[in-house]
Amino acid sequence: MTLKGTSYLRRYWQLYALLILPVSYFIIFKYGPMYGIIIAFKDFNFFQGIGGSEWIGFDGFREVFAMPDFYKTLRNTFMLNFFDLLVSFPAPLILAIMLYELKFAWFKKLSQTILYIPHFISWVIIGGIVYQVFGTQSGMINNIVVSLGFEAIPFLTDKKDWLITYLAVGVWQSAGWGTIIYLAALTGINRELFEAAEVDGAGRMRKIWSITLPSLKPTIVTLLIINLGHMISIGFERPYIIGNTAVRDYSDVLSTFVYRMGIESGQYTLATVVGLFQAVVGLIFVLGANYASKKLADQSIL
Amino acid sequence: MVKAAKGKKKAIALLALTLVSTMLFSACSGGGNGNAQNNKENGGEAAAGNPVTLKVEVFDRGNSPSGLSITDNYLTNFVQDNFGTPNNITMEFVPVPRSEEVQKLNVLMASGSDVPDIVFTYDSGTFYRYAQQGGLTELGELLDQHGPNLKAFLGEETLAYGEFEGKQFALPAKRAHLGKYSSFIRQDWLDKLGLPVPATTEELYNTLKAFKEQDPGQTGGKVIPLGMALAPAQYEPLIWSFIQPHSEEERYTLTQQLGSRDYPTLLPGFKDALAFMNKLYNEGLMSADFGLDEDKKKLNEDAANGLVGFFSEDDMNPFYPDGLYATLQKNVPGAKLSAVDVYSNAEGKHPKPEYAPVGLYIMIPKSSERAVEAIKYLDWMASGDNLLHMQNGVEGENYTLQNGIPVVKADAPEDVKNRIYNQGDMAIISNGKQLGDSEKNVEAYVYGMPEAFHEETRRALTVSRSDTIKPVRFDRPIEAQGKYGTGLLDKFHEIIVKTTMAKPDQFESVYETAMKDYMANGGQAILDERKKAYEAMNK
Repeated sequence: MTLKGTSYLRRYWQLYALLILPVSYFIIFKYGPMYGIIIAFKDFNFFQGIGGSEWIGFDGFREVFAMPDFYKTLRNTFMLNFFDLLVSFPAPLILAIMLYELKFAWFKKLSQTILYIPHFISWVIIGGIVYQVFGTQSGMINNIVVSLGFEAIPFLTDKKDWLITYLAVGVWQSAGWGTIIYLAALTGINRELFEAAEVDGAGRMRKIWSITLPSLKPTIVTLLIINLGHMISIGFERPYIIGNTAVRDYSDVLSTFVYRMGIESGQYTLATVVGLFQAVVGLIFVLGANYASKKLADQSIL
Repeated sequence: MVKAAKGKKKAIALLALTLVSTMLFSACSGGGNGNAQNNKENGGEAAAGNPVTLKVEVFDRGNSPSGLSITDNYLTNFVQDNFGTPNNITMEFVPVPRSEEVQKLNVLMASGSDVPDIVFTYDSGTFYRYAQQGGLTELGELLDQHGPNLKAFLGEETLAYGEFEGKQFALPAKRAHLGKYSSFIRQDWLDKLGLPVPATTEELYNTLKAFKEQDPGQTGGKVIPLGMALAPAQYEPLIWSFIQPHSEEERYTLTQQLGSRDYPTLLPGFKDALAFMNKLYNEGLMSADFGLDEDKKKLNEDAANGLVGFFSEDDMNPFYPDGLYATLQKNVPGAKLSAVDVYSNAEGKHPKPEYAPVGLYIMIPKSSERAVEAIKYLDWMASGDNLLHMQNGVEGENYTLQNGIPVVKADAPEDVKNRIYNQGDMAIISNGKQLGDSEKNVEAYVYGMPEAFHEETRRALTVSRSDTIKPVRFDRPIEAQGKYGTGLLDKFHEIIVKTTMAKPDQFESVYETAMKDYMANGGQAILDERKKAYEAMNK
């Protein structure tokens, strides 16, 4: 028997009341600002405000698409994200399984705490550490390399070496924190499965392969979809701080491009165009990934 | 049934509440115009007797001594007591972080209502953009009516920089000392090796090689013969010395102004400068990580640790108390730094850029209701001995006058010294101390330094003023520079870093690619516009 409107509300109104805060958060901070998207179609002059500026249709888009730097930053965004996905996505999974296999609770707790710490360090500070460790002339690692009689490695100033530095730092910063979701999912596995497998004579790797990984599959797929949705958007701090003039061919990405256009040069129209472009492509990626995973693995989040 | 209705009512009430609060929020965020109107009404009331508020931007360098803040210190109180209170004006200082002045100013200007009545920037491109977009109050008439002292103080040459399409939209601060750069060499290293002070770039190269091979500082192989950073003070003197003689037309059209500086990207000789840097780099004569060092931190550290043999820098920078030279002498007893003029061109001269005779561009946003008060404030600063007081503090306590030059009392107690810790950022109408003529102004700088460094400071200030190149000035703004300037400056740095760090046999191709990239991202647009502007100017 279904509940009629009023009695339904009477029964569940508390739940709706609870919803008010998050919903208003989304309205105020996520939907409200979308009004600003129309800046992309206007010759924005902030002394006249959004309403007073002149409409220019798609001229802003034409200008952005004619910029050679736009394609370079777009390519770099995809490239850095793609490599990040290859390297940084499996890292927390592997780490989580390793932690899960640990026998001593105290050691496990200790390792977890140590692994989480980098996540709480600001990128600005990480940038400082990176320069100290990887510098060519006086960096810690190169001091050792040089004292062993080899030539210094330009970790920060050669673009290929820089890419590796960038990825490694990313793993160091995020892998520990990323294990949390996997560890939460792992606690949900029925212990009896492992016992049964042991009786059947399964070794450790076999158990990981046949029990742990399949149980994590929904989590992995969900995270993968979320990550794919972010393929075109890239955090600002990491490439901006770890990047430098010598490696701008790789380190210049859409977010730093938008920063330069919008905040530094005051060209809000063009910056908004790039932002809107990112949003649209991002949406296509999320829907595409979701569709693919529904077809292939029968898992989806929408 | 009654209960059910109650529940529904509650739900509706809550929903309504959410809606109302949402609308309130969005009203606040989108209500720039509404607020401006409110201000107008308040302003009307204030004129009837309540004090009005004058909001003035102030740079915050995060260096306030403990107990003081950038908005509450000796100078803010001095301004309030001597200008504010007598004129029924409440002064309010709005801090803006120095390192992100343009970004923060953009945000303030966009907010419309919160913007201070007096704002400023060092970036002429930003000033032109605001003027072009109609965001600034025209100041010509106001200046005539309310700012006679100010007008006389700034003078025509400086004021001309604040014009946009023939109208006065900014009041540029007057610059006291136009010199920029000097070079410095470790005299004790030269003495040890029995070498003379190098007089030309070629001699410098040999000296650098000697520094590298003989390591007079006994650094254990860590010697950096030429200290370099990705900052104008380091690369500009080197690059400009390679620029070949060129016509006036070339000077106007082939120079590119990025931000507030002129760059010789297209002038003949630029490539030779890069080739020289490439040679130095590949022979290990130059800081290896200079491309990472945009704030000169590494260079300063290396030089203070006695690793650097030669470098160029802002003329006075090494001499400040506890600055580079003082630290170097502490770290390396007996170290001696000499101010020298080395980088030379084919004619044996030492060309280097000088500043335009302006500092900050002071502007009054169009939305300001207090333009008259703002001009009065700046006029007050320019009249009597107010500027002298703001820059130097109290006579007899902070300084003594010697031959008309205020000499800092080094033994003044800390709290007295702290009175003027922010004088440079409060006395906005002047860049540097103004004492009547440039010789005196320079002497004032010299006396501001620790006594042991007076002689060397004087020499550095002489170096920075000789053989200088004046900035190119058009009678109209070059729009492409405002649009692409900031981005192109990054590209310019890319050219330097990439060509310098390229393997010698790849120099040509790296140079070609980097230049192409530069031209495609706005360099060509600037060139075209400057050519047109030059033609129009000479009609």
